[in-house]
Amino acid sequence: MEITFEHVTHSYDVNSPTANLGLDDVSFTIKDKLFTAIVGQTGSGKSTLVRHINALLKPTSGSIKVGDRLLTPETNNKNLKPLRKKIGMVFQFPESQLFEETVEKDIMFGPMNFGATEEEARTSAHKMIQLVGLDESYLKKSPFDLSGGQMRRVAIAGVLASDPETIILDEPTAGLDPVGRKEIMDLFKQLQAEGKTIILITHNMDDVANYADEMAVIHRGKLVAHGLPQEVFNNQELLKDNLLTLPQSAEFAQDLAQKDFKFDQLPITIAELGAKIKQQLSGETNG
Amino acid sequence: MEKIISIKDLNYTYPDSQNAAIDHLTLDIYKNEWLSIVGKNGSGKSTLTKLIDGLIEADSGTIAVDGQVINEKNIWNARTKIGIIFQNPDHQFVGATVEDDVAFGLENQGMPREQMLKEVDHALKLVKMADFKKRDPQSLSGGQKQRVAIAGVLATRPQIVIMDESTSMLDPDGRKTVLDLIQQLRKEQDLTIISITHDIEETELSQRIVVLNSGKIVKDGKPDVIYNLGADLQEYGLDEPFTSKLMSVLGKQLKLPDGYLSEGELKNQLWKLHSNM
Ligand SMILES: Nc1ncnc2c1ncn2[C@@H]1O[C@H](COP(=O)(O)OP(=O)(O)O)[C@@H](O)[C@H]1O
Ligand SMILES: Nc1ncnc2c1ncn2[C@@H]1O[C@H](COP(=O)(O)OP(=O)(O)O)[C@@H](O)[C@H]1O
Ligand SMILES: [Mg+2]
Ligand SMILES: [Mg+2]
Repeated sequence: MEITFEHVTHSYDVNSPTANLGLDDVSFTIKDKLFTAIVGQTGSGKSTLVRHINALLKPTSGSIKVGDRLLTPETNNKNLKPLRKKIGMVFQFPESQLFEETVEKDIMFGPMNFGATEEEARTSAHKMIQLVGLDESYLKKSPFDLSGGQMRRVAIAGVLASDPETIILDEPTAGLDPVGRKEIMDLFKQLQAEGKTIILITHNMDDVANYADEMAVIHRGKLVAHGLPQEVFNNQELLKDNLLTLPQSAEFAQDLAQKDFKFDQLPITIAELGAKIKQQLSGETNG
Repeated sequence: MEKIISIKDLNYTYPDSQNAAIDHLTLDIYKNEWLSIVGKNGSGKSTLTKLIDGLIEADSGTIAVDGQVINEKNIWNARTKIGIIFQNPDHQFVGATVEDDVAFGLENQGMPREQMLKEVDHALKLVKMADFKKRDPQSLSGGQKQRVAIAGVLATRPQIVIMDESTSMLDPDGRKTVLDLIQQLRKEQDLTIISITHDIEETELSQRIVVLNSGKIVKDGKPDVIYNLGADLQEYGLDEPFTSKLMSVLGKQLKLPDGYLSEGELKNQLWKLHSNM
């Protein structure tokens, strides 16, 4: 689903003179079926931004077009179910999303809430738990007896179970071990290949470089950049103002360029970095 | 070196669970050490933290904190020496404002009000959250909450700080601020740091890395010894260090030394190759 923000401003405290702005005049389009990463410092407004997409927050001014649905300051809480069925959201702290006695009931809640039969929901739970890399024995456990990373996986399974078209992930891999993180990131990429739109909030720039088609940078509630990761990570203005950290490969290339090595564009993945180093170290020996 | 925590043959299985979460674990931690504990999700890291802080009681084995084997009677005393920063800051908030929240631990220690206000301000300044002191903690962003939680722990001036994946919610800058701060306090105030993390770069700050797997210690060594495991680290849920990944891409054609190289060492090697062309 295509999602378009038009001059969206969100004030958390309309009455305060310092108007605690969560979002400040944000306009951009998140394209259908792409993998879009949203980055920015803590407190910059990333969670505030994505909470507008499923109308958990309403804009103070401006509008958000989600598919054929228009969300405005006047949008009321009635009839949001169809929208929320299409947009799955994994929250920043998964614990806040788990509430049933067993993992199975927890995963079944979403589909049943959106009209699936108990049987369908159960089938879905059995499928999803394996998709997120846990075996079926976890279904009978209490979600609160799990380690942080296991809870995270259950929360993701719960969202996938309703088969949303668009999946919003608010720092979904914080707390997963690196091997688990890669598995989960690969899963999101696979879901995209199957036709889903993925929106990922993350602090991990290597994941942005390796997985995202486009990225948006938020700073103090404003959108300061939006484009291909390769372009954004080479945006000198952003780097000069310290609004962005680089993937490890780009940082390493930047250091190497202090002497001898030259990079017209900073490489953002290890494969690109390796290729460019090899090129420069072999180029002259061959010729 | 003086031991600050000494764990002997510790065992713990959760009620209703078939598998031991901590399995015959023995570990000494030294005063002023920065120890990293790493391992897959579910390997027992948080359980170990809870056992050290006496939040749960071991089935068998002992834990001594600052020379004293902990038991039901002295656990409160041991706890005043330990500050834990948990994974999810949401569970830690008790105050209505950021300021009250940070003050909570100090009130419990019976500190006079005037001194308390100073300590709170100081702790909030350290984590760069002084501007937020009148805010409701629930209204903060995830990373801001985590900084307040850290201030709350630092304000009580513990001897041992346990960070249970407490930087995983922070942005790279925020993470650096917190880690630099912890490092500085370790040096100035003789703190002992136990850092549970999945971030291989974060472990570079430590003097020793312990790898847990299914409740057992499977490796215990200096960082470069552990990093030398390269791709084998993945077996324990860890990432291969950046330099070893890059070196595998660069392949055998380039004449690079065997074994683990730090980023600095690898850059020097590459510059050397470049100037030898
Ligand atoms: N419920 C709330 N009430 C008041 N201010 C809030 C609330 N939620 C977030 N904020 C503020 O809005 C800003 C953006 O927060 P958030 O969107 O959570 O940031 P991010 O997700 O980028 O870390 C922060 O300064 C935060 O303190
Ligand atoms: N409250 C609990 N009840 C039952 N089992 C638990 C509980 N907490 C954790 N476990 C189990 O104990 C093992 C170790 O968990 P934990 O110490 O949280 O791991 P880590 O912190 O290394 O991710 C895991 O298999 C987990 O499922
Ligand atoms: Mg957030
Ligand atoms: Mg844990």
